[in-house]
Amino acid sequence: MLTIALDAVTTAALLFIISSGLLIVFGVMKIINFAHAAFVTVGAYAALVGTRLGLPWALVLPLAFATGAACGALTEATIVRRLYQRPLDAILATWGLGTVIGQLVTLIFGREVQFVQAPITGTIDLFGLDYSAYRIAMIAAAVIVAVAFTGLLSGTRLGLSTRAVIMNEMLAQGLGVDSSRVRLVTFALGSGLAALAGALITPLSSVDPNMGLPWLISAFMLVMVSGGSLPTLAVSCIVLGGLQVIVSTFVNPILGGLTIAICAAIVLRIRPEGFARA
Amino acid sequence: MPEANQLSPAVPTAIGASATLRAMALVALVVGAVMLAPLMLDTYMLNILVRAFFVAIAAITVDIMWGYCGTLTFGQSAFFGIGVYALAITFTEYGFGPWQAVLAIAAAIIAAAAVAGLTGWLSFYPGSTPLYASIVSLVVPIVLVQILYSGGTFTGSSSGLVGFETFDLEFDNWFRLAGLALVATAVVALIMMRSDTGRLLKALRDNDERCTYLGINTSRYRIVVLVLTAIVASLAGFGYAAFGGVAAPENASFTFGTRLIIMVALGGRGTVIGAIVGALSIEVASAYLSGSLPYVWELIIGIALITVILAFPDGLLGVFKRIAYGGRPLENGATVQLRPMATATGTKAESGVAIEARELGKHFGSLSVLDGVQFKANRGELLSLVGPNGAGKTTLIRCLSDGRERSSGFVAIAGHPIDHLPPSRIVRFGLGRKFQAASVFETLTVAECLRVARTHRARPALASTSPVLELPAAAISVVERSGLADRRGEEARNLSHGLKQALELAMVLALEPEVLLLDEPTAGLTRAERQAFADILTSLASGDRLCILLVEHDLDFVRDISSRIIVLHQGRIALDGSVDEVVDSELVREIYTGQQSSSLRSAS
Repeated sequence: MLTIALDAVTTAALLFIISSGLLIVFGVMKIINFAHAAFVTVGAYAALVGTRLGLPWALVLPLAFATGAACGALTEATIVRRLYQRPLDAILATWGLGTVIGQLVTLIFGREVQFVQAPITGTIDLFGLDYSAYRIAMIAAAVIVAVAFTGLLSGTRLGLSTRAVIMNEMLAQGLGVDSSRVRLVTFALGSGLAALAGALITPLSSVDPNMGLPWLISAFMLVMVSGGSLPTLAVSCIVLGGLQVIVSTFVNPILGGLTIAICAAIVLRIRPEGFARA
Repeated sequence: MPEANQLSPAVPTAIGASATLRAMALVALVVGAVMLAPLMLDTYMLNILVRAFFVAIAAITVDIMWGYCGTLTFGQSAFFGIGVYALAITFTEYGFGPWQAVLAIAAAIIAAAAVAGLTGWLSFYPGSTPLYASIVSLVVPIVLVQILYSGGTFTGSSSGLVGFETFDLEFDNWFRLAGLALVATAVVALIMMRSDTGRLLKALRDNDERCTYLGINTSRYRIVVLVLTAIVASLAGFGYAAFGGVAAPENASFTFGTRLIIMVALGGRGTVIGAIVGALSIEVASAYLSGSLPYVWELIIGIALITVILAFPDGLLGVFKRIAYGGRPLENGATVQLRPMATATGTKAESGVAIEARELGKHFGSLSVLDGVQFKANRGELLSLVGPNGAGKTTLIRCLSDGRERSSGFVAIAGHPIDHLPPSRIVRFGLGRKFQAASVFETLTVAECLRVARTHRARPALASTSPVLELPAAAISVVERSGLADRRGEEARNLSHGLKQALELAMVLALEPEVLLLDEPTAGLTRAERQAFADILTSLASGDRLCILLVEHDLDFVRDISSRIIVLHQGRIALDGSVDEVVDSELVREIYTGQQSSSLRSAS
C-alpha cells in the first residue's frame, strides 16, 4: 500500500517536471509544442555525454538545461515565430522538427539503448520500507521546479511581462511589453525544462532516440486538463498520475500507460474547463 | 422585385456544361491510363503503386478533415488499421470465403464508424478547440495500437497477422482495381467538396463561431464528416491488407497517421488532388530510399515538412498553380443569381415581446459584470444599449445569445426560454447576432457566404452548386444598397471593412431573424456608410417589424435612429427610457462628457 502511494507521488513528480515546460509554452503561445518529446531526448543525451565526460551532476543538469534552451530558442526564432498566425501549422512544424531531432540523434549516437548511472543510488528506509532514493529525490526536484517557476513568474519583471502576455497579448503589446521577446524566452525556458526533465529521468529509464515519445501524450493531456495554470497542473499530475499507478498495478501496465490520456479526454468532454476552477 | 433580377444576369449555362465535359474527358483519360499502365510497368513498381493507391485514399480522407474542415487529424491511420485488422482477423479466424469477405467488410465499416463516432463525440462539442481535437486524434491510434499489442494471438500482438488466405488476383488486376478505387474516391470527393455542402465545410474551417450563430450545429457536421471519412479510410485499409496479405500494428500507428498528414501538406491541402500527388510521391520515393538510407530518409521527410509549411503552405500543387495561372484569382459564384424569396416563410406576429431578460447576472467569482439586468423589448423597437467601456454591453449581448454564458436569471427570445442552449439552437428561435468585428468566411465568396447563412432553411446541395440563391427581401436590399451584388463572386477577404460589415449584416438577415443583436455595427465606417446603415436599420424596425438591440457609442447616431435607449452602468441598468429622457439626463451627460454633476460630487 505504501509502495503504491510512493509510486504515485514520484510518478506525479516526474509528470510534473516533464509537463511544466509544455504548460508555460501553451500558456504564452496557445500552441502545444510537439517537439517537446525531442527536447526531452536531447536533455537525456546531454546527460549521457556529460556523465561520460565525468562531469559532476551539479554540472550535468545545467548543461542539459542549457542545451535544451539553446535548441528551443533556435526553434522559436527560425520556425515557430513565422507561424503565429497559423497555430495548427505551428504544431505540425514542431512535429516535423521532432522527427528531425530524433533522426539526428540516431545518426550521431546510434539506435541502441544506453544507460546512465544515477547520482544518488541505493534505497532509503521510509516507514520500514526500502524505497529508491533517486525516486524520492524526484519529489524534491519537482518541488524545486514548481517553486522556481512560481518565483520567476511572480517575482521578476520578465515574469510580470509573461503573465501579461498570457492574459491579454494585445493589451500587453499596447503597454509596451515586447511580446516577441517574451515568446522567445518562454519557448527557450520550456525547452530547457524539457531537457532538464530528460536528464532527470535518464537514471530511471534507458536512453534511446525515441525515449521522449511515451511521455508526450500524457504531458499533452495533463496540460490540456489543467487549463494552463501551474497549481492545477500539480493537482492533475497527482490525481491522474496516481490513477495511472493504480491501474498499472492492479489491472495491467499497458492500460496503465493509457490511463492519463483516456481519463483526461473524458474529463474534458464532461467538463471543458478541466480541473481549473470556473 | 424586378431590380434584383436586373442586377443578376442570367446564368450562362454553356460554360458550366463545357467544364463538366472537360472534367469527364479528363477522368476518362485517367481511367484509360490506369487500365493500360500494368502493361508497361514492372512487378516491383506495380507492387509499390497498388499499396500507394490505397494509402492515397486514406490521404484524401485526411485532406477532407484537415484541408476542408480545418481539423488537423493524426488519427485517420487508426481507421485504416481497423480495416486492415477487420480483414486479417476475420480471414485468420474463419478462413477465406464469400461470407467471410462480407463479414470482414461489414466489420471494417461498423468498427470504423463506431470508433469515429466516439472520437467525434470526444473531440467536437460546443466550446472545444481545434487544438484539443488534434490531440484527441493523436490518442486514438495510440490506444488502438496498445490494444493490438495486448491482443495475443487474436491480433498477432507486435508481429501482426500473416499467412491468412486472401483474394487471389493477378498483380495487373490489383493495380486496376486499386487505381479505379482511387479515381472513384477522388471524383466523389471533388464533386462533394465543390458542391454547396463542400462550401459549408470550408465555412466551418474559416469561422466556426459564425457558423454556430447562423444556426448550424457545427459539432454534428464535424462528427458526420469524421464518421464518413473513417469508413472510407477503413475500406482503404481493407484493400491494403487484402492485397498485401499482412496486418501489422504499424498500419494503425500514429507514425503512419502523421505520414498521411505530411503527404497532404506536401501535395497541397484542401485540393484532394494534392493528397494523391503527395501520397504517391512519398510512397514511391520511400520504397526506393527507405531501404538504402533509413534514417536519412526520415530526416529528409522531416525537413521537407518544415520547409513546405514555412515556405509553401499550399504545397506542390499550389506552387504548380501559381506558375500555371500566375496567381489569378478564380471567380466562383459570379454567375450565381440572387433572387428574392417568393413570400416570407411563415406569417410571423407583427408585435409582441421579442426579448425578455429577468434578473440576468454574470459573475466571475466575486466580480459581477452584470447584475439584476431586467428589461423587455418588443417587435418593431429599435433599442440602443449605451454605456461606458466595461459597463457590460458586449457581455449582455453574449448572455442573450448563448444560454451557457449567464450565471443567473432568465432570458427568452421571441417567447422561447433559452435555458442553457448553445447559440445554434437559439438562432432557430429567431435570433440574429452581428459581431463587433466583421465576422464572415474569409475564403468564401460573397454568394457562398450568403448561401451558408441559408443552411438552416435550405439544405445545401450535396453534389452540385445551385445557380440560384433565394434570399429574404431584407438581405437582398442590403446586398444591393451596399454594392455587394456586383462583387458576389469575390472572396470575402478581399472586401473592404465596410463591405464586410454589410456582408455580415446581410448574412444575419438571411436567417430571417425576429430579433437582431448588433454590436457596434458602425465602428470604423465612413460617414456615408453609417448613414446607409442607419437607413437600413430603421426600415428593418419599422418596415419588417424586427426587434433590434444595438450597442453603440456614438450618441448622435443613437439619437437619430433609436426608439428607446437603455443605459448600462457598472453592470446594472441605470436608465431605460425614450430618446429624449435618456439623452438629456444628468447621468448620460456625466458619462459622455466627464462633467460630474454637483449632486454626485457631494455624494462621493
